[in-house]
Amino acid sequence: MRITPVGATISPSRRGDGAVGLLFALPHLILFGTFLLAPVIYGIYISLHRWHILAKEHPLIGLANYSAALTDDIFWVALRNTVYFVVLVVPLGNLVSLLLALGLASLRRGATFYKIVYYLPVIISIAVVAVLWRWIYNTEIGLLNLYLGSVVNWLRSIGLPLRPFEPLPWLANPSWVMPSIALLTIWWTAGANMVLYLAGLGNIPDDYYEAAAIDGASPWQRFWAVTWPLLRPTTLFCLVFSVLGAFQVFGQSYVLFTAVSGGSQSGPARSGLTLALYMYLQGFRQYEIGYGTAIAYLLFAIVLILTVIQFRLLERRDASSKV
Amino acid sequence: MNSFYRRACIHAHSVIALLCMTFLLGGCDSSSRTPSQGVTRTSDGKILLKFWNGFTGPDGKAMEQMVARFKKQNPDVTVQMQIIPWGTYYDKLTLALAYGGAPDVFVMHASRLPGFAAYDAFQPLQQHFASSQPPLGAKDFASVPWQGTFYKDQQYAMPLDVHPIGLFYNTRLFKEAGIVDAEGNAKPPKNLDEFLDAAKRLTKDTNGDKRPDQWGFVYTWQRTNWLTFAGQFGASILSPDGSQSTLSAPENLRALSLMHDLIYKHKVAPKPEGVDAWLAFRQGKVGMTLEGIYMLTSLEEQKGLPFAGAPAPQFGPKQAVWGGSHLLCQPRGITPEQSQAAWRLMRFLSDDSLIWARAGQVPARLDTRNSPQFKALEVQSQFAKQLEYVQYEPLHPKSDAFFPLIEPALESVLLNISTPEEAMRDASRRVNQLLERQ
Repeated sequence: MRITPVGATISPSRRGDGAVGLLFALPHLILFGTFLLAPVIYGIYISLHRWHILAKEHPLIGLANYSAALTDDIFWVALRNTVYFVVLVVPLGNLVSLLLALGLASLRRGATFYKIVYYLPVIISIAVVAVLWRWIYNTEIGLLNLYLGSVVNWLRSIGLPLRPFEPLPWLANPSWVMPSIALLTIWWTAGANMVLYLAGLGNIPDDYYEAAAIDGASPWQRFWAVTWPLLRPTTLFCLVFSVLGAFQVFGQSYVLFTAVSGGSQSGPARSGLTLALYMYLQGFRQYEIGYGTAIAYLLFAIVLILTVIQFRLLERRDASSKV
Repeated sequence: MNSFYRRACIHAHSVIALLCMTFLLGGCDSSSRTPSQGVTRTSDGKILLKFWNGFTGPDGKAMEQMVARFKKQNPDVTVQMQIIPWGTYYDKLTLALAYGGAPDVFVMHASRLPGFAAYDAFQPLQQHFASSQPPLGAKDFASVPWQGTFYKDQQYAMPLDVHPIGLFYNTRLFKEAGIVDAEGNAKPPKNLDEFLDAAKRLTKDTNGDKRPDQWGFVYTWQRTNWLTFAGQFGASILSPDGSQSTLSAPENLRALSLMHDLIYKHKVAPKPEGVDAWLAFRQGKVGMTLEGIYMLTSLEEQKGLPFAGAPAPQFGPKQAVWGGSHLLCQPRGITPEQSQAAWRLMRFLSDDSLIWARAGQVPARLDTRNSPQFKALEVQSQFAKQLEYVQYEPLHPKSDAFFPLIEPALESVLLNISTPEEAMRDASRRVNQLLERQ
């Protein structure tokens, strides 16, 4: 799409339309300006100051908050955890969404029912999802361990040489925490990408499949030769937005660990600490707003760089698909 | 629906949203308060006091009872009490102190007082203590909470209570294991040897799967348990001048090794991994635990749980136990008249603290603590024996920021992920970093 520069092709006599257009855009612009743009700019200002919420004065300290964050090893722990989460969630989550979409696309009957079922978690708020999963993951009385336990017992009863079931410490052992959070996130978000993949699948003309079938291609060959390449724009789009979303992961850790009174704020041995959570803890638990804002901008910078890289990829994809 | 109409609808929504915002913003200014001559009054002419605390449990009911008594004896005053769960209490209080809307009286934990006092958030109270009738002063309070109301020689609070942790033990399990005195009563351990002996006898595999399902001891809140062990070994978070961390000092490493050994060497406590330790104690699967006196009502509610309380055993070379205190404060900038009315409430709550004690607290007031009614409260009076050597968290403005740095280290020691040396080296470096960051 091309955007026509104002005034370039429109005759001067019709310039009044621009003002009317602006008038129509004004409500949105005011909201956007007040609740997004202004706080974002104010945030940059705050991040350059030592800004304790109770302090009467906020001295300007330049980039000290940023350099403090970069030398703060907990910042790096949070970054590492966040990257680990992204690596777990993005490929696996997209695979699940794609498989669900493929399954649904091949259904003759009942597709709408399953679509609703798989999409349902997406519309639940993360607070509810996390509270639900906190119980499911409970080591002693959780649903997951209960089911796993009965499966293992049943397998033992039919004579498989398995050891008695040890309850799994889903949210209690540091090395289990991120995979557990990733699992619940996939459950929560798979439906959203599934819908996009379904749309992408719907855009592939049936002719190609018919042609492939006539050529004697197996279903597997049809997938690799037709579906996968033609679905690529959708896949790339889904990946880009999953990465952006995953980097900002907050609610899961917050509800599972921070909002629980008496617990450690970020999971056992900080295993659930993500960048967004660290930002929150610094800003709203330690009341160091300046430091918290600096962390927010570092996260912003990371996401921005990734976005630019990914959009370059998308553009190249578009360009090459036109050849 | 044609597209023009749809767009018009969207804009209409934006306009409505905007109007709502405008009303909300406008509404902020016209609050219900009507100050007259420095006092806030309700429409029927009573002085209005706002009182915030975080007592969401049975302690909240006790506080409500006390406030109701106050209102009855002070018909010219009405109190609006707001109970905010501790999880968000300080967030809300901090915002109110920073941007307006602070209550006239609010509860503050002793360990949090310096963090707020350093930013000049409280009204000094020396005047009220000096002019109160009958007079009230240092001689009327236990010394630890009294000292905790000062920051840099200014007094900012009325101490309400002390809530140390102590030993809760299951008397039935003790009797079953034969840990009894001459009269056959369960006998709580007083020192490390007795503690280990009892804990070993209480740790049992009752269902024959070769794994213990009854434990001698469990860690509930690692922070307070560690502060108790550390204090007994003479360790602390900060050097006496508060300039640097002493977490890596050998005293602390010894304390942590012992805590670690209870799980992995003596095998009398479960690995703190997915165990709801407090629930296990309530269900009678655990012999002993170190918990706060404020948890007492949670045990009293548990039907059929025979338990008792005792001072924490002495694990290290000296006596120490962690405790906290609830203090009552007023915000900086309160008018003198309002402050005077707020003081009446504070004074009343202090005078009337026996009700408070019943809800699971040791009152800070010595006259209440020495009263026969208080001595009749079995667990409270046992825990009160520790009052002389109760230790708070370090009273440092950044005290509350230390624990997010220390607790993960404690956890990794107790989960056997790092050695005490490694864990405390990291925690110590981080605390020092925090102290340097002005």
